[in-house]
Amino acid sequence: MDNVNILIIEDTPQESDKLIKVLNENNYTISGVARTFKEALDLYYKVKVDIVIIDIFLDGVPDGITFAETINTVPDASKPFVFLTSSTDRKIFERAKLTQPFSFLMKPFNELEVLYAIEMAVEKFYDQNDVFITDEEDTVISSDYLFIKKGKSLKKVLLEDIIYIEVEEKYCNIITANEKFVILISLTKILKLLDENSFCRTHRNYIANIDKITEIVPSDNLIVLQGKHHITLSERYKDLIKKVRTLK
Amino acid sequence: MPLKFRLFLLVLVTYYSYSQNKTEDSFFKDIFEQSKKFHSEENFKKASFFLIEKKWDSTIIFSQKSLENSKREKSMDDFLFMYRGISLFRNQVYDEAENQFDLISKKFQFTNKVQEFIGAINLKLKRYKKAITYYKKLLDIKNKTYVDEINILNDLALCHYFLSEFQKAEFYFEQSNKYEKDSINLVDNYINIANLYYQQYKDDIAIPYFQKAYNLSKKLKISDKQLSEDDRKKYYRKQIAAKNMAVIEENRKNYNQALVYRKEYEKYVDTLNNRNKIYAVAKKEKEFAVAAKQKEVDLLQVENKLKETERKIFLYSAIGLLLFLGIGAYFFREKVKTNKIIAAQKEILDELNTTKDKLFSIVSHDLRSSVNALKSSNKILLNNLASKNLEALENLLHKNSTIVNGAYGLLDNLLNWALMQTEQQYFSIEKQRLFIITEHVAYNYKPLLLEKELNFENTVSKREFVQADQESLKIVLRNLIDNAIKFSQPNGFIKIYSSNTIEGFTNLIVEDSGLGMSDATRLKLLDDSVLLNKKEHEDIIGTGLGIQLVKSMIKKNNGKFDIESELGKGTKMIVSLPKTVLDG
Repeated sequence: MDNVNILIIEDTPQESDKLIKVLNENNYTISGVARTFKEALDLYYKVKVDIVIIDIFLDGVPDGITFAETINTVPDASKPFVFLTSSTDRKIFERAKLTQPFSFLMKPFNELEVLYAIEMAVEKFYDQNDVFITDEEDTVISSDYLFIKKGKSLKKVLLEDIIYIEVEEKYCNIITANEKFVILISLTKILKLLDENSFCRTHRNYIANIDKITEIVPSDNLIVLQGKHHITLSERYKDLIKKVRTLK
Repeated sequence: MPLKFRLFLLVLVTYYSYSQNKTEDSFFKDIFEQSKKFHSEENFKKASFFLIEKKWDSTIIFSQKSLENSKREKSMDDFLFMYRGISLFRNQVYDEAENQFDLISKKFQFTNKVQEFIGAINLKLKRYKKAITYYKKLLDIKNKTYVDEINILNDLALCHYFLSEFQKAEFYFEQSNKYEKDSINLVDNYINIANLYYQQYKDDIAIPYFQKAYNLSKKLKISDKQLSEDDRKKYYRKQIAAKNMAVIEENRKNYNQALVYRKEYEKYVDTLNNRNKIYAVAKKEKEFAVAAKQKEVDLLQVENKLKETERKIFLYSAIGLLLFLGIGAYFFREKVKTNKIIAAQKEILDELNTTKDKLFSIVSHDLRSSVNALKSSNKILLNNLASKNLEALENLLHKNSTIVNGAYGLLDNLLNWALMQTEQQYFSIEKQRLFIITEHVAYNYKPLLLEKELNFENTVSKREFVQADQESLKIVLRNLIDNAIKFSQPNGFIKIYSSNTIEGFTNLIVEDSGLGMSDATRLKLLDDSVLLNKKEHEDIIGTGLGIQLVKSMIKKNNGKFDIESELGKGTKMIVSLPKTVLDG
């Protein structure tokens, strides 16, 4: 599991320091702090960013909204973001609200509010609402990562790193090369959200990463994956063989 | 035999050279009746009207126009050609008239009359033989509607006469004589016959005819009053008959008698002239009278017009005045209404102003005392720092921070209240997670709760979603928790929990084990009046602004607010907010 990278756009060092402190305490990685709109754009494309926290007013002008509008125009480059503001001025808010999805954090903020705002931004951005608040689920799936709530903060796992997923009722055991951990998500949801060209169901309880398959033994109903993991291949899902690229 | 000098006076009367008789009038009427079926065509209708009014030129023009219309009905053509033929004939353009008549089809209902016209044209053009054939044909036809037999006989006789076929002429004259009943025509006939014989030197036969004509002409009665066309004809006959007699007597060398006739002739000529003059004068007089009358009429018309204009002016001014009055009344009423509204608004404004004044006095007092306390505390702080009394320093700093926190809360409420009044604040009712909001707000009070040794519990259900504006909900909670802490004794508890007692609403309850309040205070707090409440607990800072803000905010969020309290036992602040309708 990796830390989530956060880009902070805030012109007041005092405010950004406070934010950095809170985020660091909660195991987030600060990938950069931008003071101006230009700096923000440079950093945004230079460093690894998972979530952006944007102060609406940079040097007294609402450049923060402009930034959000800018990254929103490129759909693939867009990332979840949170507006940070001390003013509830109606006009500014109405403009900011146009940059959907919209989540904001009011100054002065406390630790809980910061963490919650980040979670909300992720939920809204990937359109998987009411995940982190409930006790039933704790994972949001994007096209590249699983965002998992661990304790008070979010962690991420690169989807490519997953070797296979073992489903156990409400839980899913995620097995990567280095780790093994449990997430809370329903089977139907995880199947719906994972790319079916990369992940394939092999058994009632198994989902395998196709790229990690090293050997298929149909006679034994067995699939061997990287790291010598063995999972079952049931009759029902044997069509999988067609999907796997084989050497000829 | 010496050449006998004879004077001839021939009165040759052809039917068409004189005015029309009754046969022709009925003929015109019939044409008009028949033509009515085509009267939808404007030009044709006009041509028909002009024909019956005997305005030949106009008839020619409009029949021409009608003929130019390519969409006309073909059965109309016969009428039009006939109109043109008759009109041209009347205008003595005989060649062209004949052409027009020739164009008419043989089936035309008035073909007999057409034949008669063609005969007459031939007669006029001195083609006597051709005329005779036409006339004879007409005589042979059994159905002689519109055909005037006497005239035909007359014309036939004339044709023969001009051809010097006297016997035949004689025959036809005699024939026509038989039918003739009109005395004028009879005179003409007698003169014609007489001339016929006279020219053949059959004086014996001719003279009695002349005599007969003369006698008959003498009997012609002429009315005294006005000289009609008919009378004029009668005079003409009398003149001719007399003159003829004079010529005959002269030829018979009977000069005395001739002179008598001649004188009679001249008398007729004079009388006719006189009467003509009188007639002309009368006509002129009449014209003058008509002109005078016309002038009078014109004058009256002008007067009428003037009166009309006057009446109109009066009417318009009346309408204008009424309108003006109406508008005036309307604006007056509007003004009264506006005044009422303004008065009501003034009352509200006054009330609000009083509230504001009071608020400011309290707030400024509180703020001033806070800042003042801070100021003096800072002085002590500096003194203590100089004497390095660290323990005292810590105490003072804690005290200061409490003062600042209180002042900040007050300021925050004040600003929020001001912003809410001006509606400048962002306000958007959305789905809110009650547990999370409570948790977030309470987080800020953790140190304070710890300090006061209060037991805090948030047991709001994670499944409670309400419709509210996030920031205003936070303000409400902040104030409620603030109050709860303020009025709590150490080791007490503060509980926040949710319940569902009202349909469609979720209750959020902030319960404390603090001082509580009297029922009177409770009711005062719940009262909607904007006036601020007096302080009950003098030792604890409270402006009442917080609770006012809470009430306004909840109202704005479509929620309800209630308080349950018992002095000394604690208070329950109950906020009811609309539930979010969850889909599915």
